[in-house]
Amino acid sequence: MALLKRLAGAMLALCAGLGAAHAEDWTPRRTVNVVVHTGPGAGGDAFARAVINVIEKEKLSTARFVVVNKTGGGSTNAINFVASKEGDDTTLAVYASNWTTDYLVQKDAMTSLQSLTPLANLIFEPALLVVRADSPFKTLKDFIDAAKAAPNKYKQAGGTPLGRDAMLRHILVAHTGAQWPLVSFPSGGERLSAILGGHVETLVLDGSEVGDFIESGKLRALAQVSDVRVPTFPKDVPTIKEAGYDIRIPLQPRGIVGPPKMSPAAAEYYRKLFAKVIETPSWKKYVEETRVQTSYIAADDLAAFLAKIADGTRNALKSANIEVIR
Amino acid sequence: MDVISGLAHGFGVALGPANLMWCFVGCFLGTVIGIIPGLGPAATIAILLPVTYNMDPTGGIIMLCGIYYGAKYGGSTTSILLKMPGEASSVISCMDGYEMARKGRAGPALGIAAISSFVAGTVGVVLLSFLAPPIAEFALSFSSPEYFALMLMGLSLVVLLAGDDIVKTVLSLLLGLWLTSIGTDLFTAQTRFTFGQISLLDGIDFMSLAIGVFAISEIMLSIEARERVRLLTIPKGFKNLLPSLEELKACRFAFLNGSITGFIIGVLPGAGSTISSFVAYGVEKAVSRHPERFGTGVPEGLAAPEGANNADTGGALLPVLTLGIPGGSSTAILMSALVLWGVRPGPLLMTQQPDIFWGLVASMYVGNVVLLIMNLPLIGLFTQILRVPLYVLFPIIMGVAIAGAYGVSGNMFGVGLLAAFGLLGYGMQKLGFPAAPLILGFVLGDSMERALRQSLTMSNGDPSILVARPISAVLLALAALILLSPLLRRLRNRQRGPAPGLPTA
Repeated sequence: MALLKRLAGAMLALCAGLGAAHAEDWTPRRTVNVVVHTGPGAGGDAFARAVINVIEKEKLSTARFVVVNKTGGGSTNAINFVASKEGDDTTLAVYASNWTTDYLVQKDAMTSLQSLTPLANLIFEPALLVVRADSPFKTLKDFIDAAKAAPNKYKQAGGTPLGRDAMLRHILVAHTGAQWPLVSFPSGGERLSAILGGHVETLVLDGSEVGDFIESGKLRALAQVSDVRVPTFPKDVPTIKEAGYDIRIPLQPRGIVGPPKMSPAAAEYYRKLFAKVIETPSWKKYVEETRVQTSYIAADDLAAFLAKIADGTRNALKSANIEVIR
Repeated sequence: MDVISGLAHGFGVALGPANLMWCFVGCFLGTVIGIIPGLGPAATIAILLPVTYNMDPTGGIIMLCGIYYGAKYGGSTTSILLKMPGEASSVISCMDGYEMARKGRAGPALGIAAISSFVAGTVGVVLLSFLAPPIAEFALSFSSPEYFALMLMGLSLVVLLAGDDIVKTVLSLLLGLWLTSIGTDLFTAQTRFTFGQISLLDGIDFMSLAIGVFAISEIMLSIEARERVRLLTIPKGFKNLLPSLEELKACRFAFLNGSITGFIIGVLPGAGSTISSFVAYGVEKAVSRHPERFGTGVPEGLAAPEGANNADTGGALLPVLTLGIPGGSSTAILMSALVLWGVRPGPLLMTQQPDIFWGLVASMYVGNVVLLIMNLPLIGLFTQILRVPLYVLFPIIMGVAIAGAYGVSGNMFGVGLLAAFGLLGYGMQKLGFPAAPLILGFVLGDSMERALRQSLTMSNGDPSILVARPISAVLLALAALILLSPLLRRLRNRQRGPAPGLPTA
């Protein structure tokens, strides 16, 4: 009986014609490779594994998903790899904000994020601008005014000048005329030691670290680096706009794209899959625990959204005198 | 006392049958991946994270931590037997470890590495248990000028690692400094010396450099020598499997040095076990009564770095557990594991979740014993590797090295680099250039440059920030002293007799 049913199904599929006619019927027949630009354990990799975990736990797909780490040159190796998989229906990639930035400043990046097949934006990672708990700065205005009165006296710990935290500094400096340097440290641990040891005055703290440092009373938040207030952040902290600075907030989006020329049937399958992912209880638990924001942007609007991010990033880099090549 | 009752509670947790098993599993896995070059503890822990998701957090962290410090035990095995470091922190162990093996003391070398790892690993955990909060505060007082002074002091150790020819030593060091500057500059996001190669954007992988310069060049030299006899003597009898009493006595200071140096440098975020092993080696040579014999197979030259990279474990976990600050990639992943389980590392961990804090600390005492018991009997087995004829052994080493280089980079470019570094090491050996300064420059150059630029950014370009701070001033003075020490020694020698002539090679 089961065999008969399957036969009938096969006949139907045949009747419907080979190829893409029945978008509903396409499912991955092979293991799906999910490309990330970081090594195991770091941001992009951890996010990809969390998403795959949701898919498996909620049994949203019959296919197996595995993470493929393509590190090198920030996102450059990863994006070039995805671009080389043109037309492949079982390769996906998790992008982050540096997938936009690297293309603007690195000659070796061959492909823009917008030229890949857009599938879904899943989250924004909000952050907090923080000072040490015993700092004299009680508000963002206190800090900016002090940095205006004494240029280059106060310091911000960060990573590369292309990061979101640096971007926020470029934009705030350009907007207010205050001046403070960014001291680059390669790892988050070193940045935190620098602020806790009192060697720098401020930094941008990722949402996932809020519990360890804000709630334990070691660091104090001056502003939320987000367009809207984040429910999992401390209630009394204003957003940067609410604190009186009407600037473009550098967002840190993460989402899914496919290689160029992915077949429409496959793209449709993945779009539906990720639309389902964000509705599940496992996903909601993940968002709650890591203090990120679900921001689902459907595939149709994603290309325009990514282009807008690229424009904003370009302007911020130019204002910081960083060479933009595209 | 609080610590004593905490530890007593911790041993209760760690010696439970399930946790004891996880400790054993972690130590075993760690030893295995430590032996395999190119597969480090950070990647292994990350890969195993999803598996541990549903485990009890205490058992989980005990196992993952076992992988972390177990890898440091395993890393020295291939350094000693094959001159092929299994982990970055065991690179310097090639110097005297491999020379010991060449003299037929492979068994004792492995024994010393295990015993030194055990002693220093345990001291590290003791310091972690008793001194955690004050030392965490001390670590925070270290700012970029102090790091710069520390790295400069490390770099000045090069004069001690040097052979007779100071010009060749400096050239070798400069080459290391240049190689480490390849890649994307953190401060400006500009690329340096990448020659349009995407694979070079993240810089050169340390393990490819070390394996190329040490292992590959060693194979080339051996083949060239057409040695029909075995390079390494196979130790025979029980007496030759374990270190002698004299050898252990020679290591007395090395145990202490490795423990203290490793722990202090381990506490500092961003320094790490590779740097601590180099500094311990340099310190050992600096205070030695016979520094000229280092590099010819002296046991303390192996005991100091192997101790340091294990004492580093206790040090590195300290800021994670007491402040929630990870200093390196392995500890960062361990911390993310804790967070995944809903455990919050930080000052409250000790009091709010004593099972995890004290259970973990106690499990590390247990783990070090487990590793010692596990490693000593394995010596007999490992030394059997030397029975394998060279025509079989060399291709295996080459295969593992190539697979490791490919595994790290994920492309053939990494394999090409490995070959290039093999040729470089071969050429250097032929021309009488010492390899150690190159490796030291590569390890320290990057951190030193960063610390200098951070300091100058903080001071708006005023270099006085480097000497105005007490710790940094003391470290800089030490660096100057070390740099002048060969000069002083030469002066003393001149009074006694003629200086050694220039090398003719």
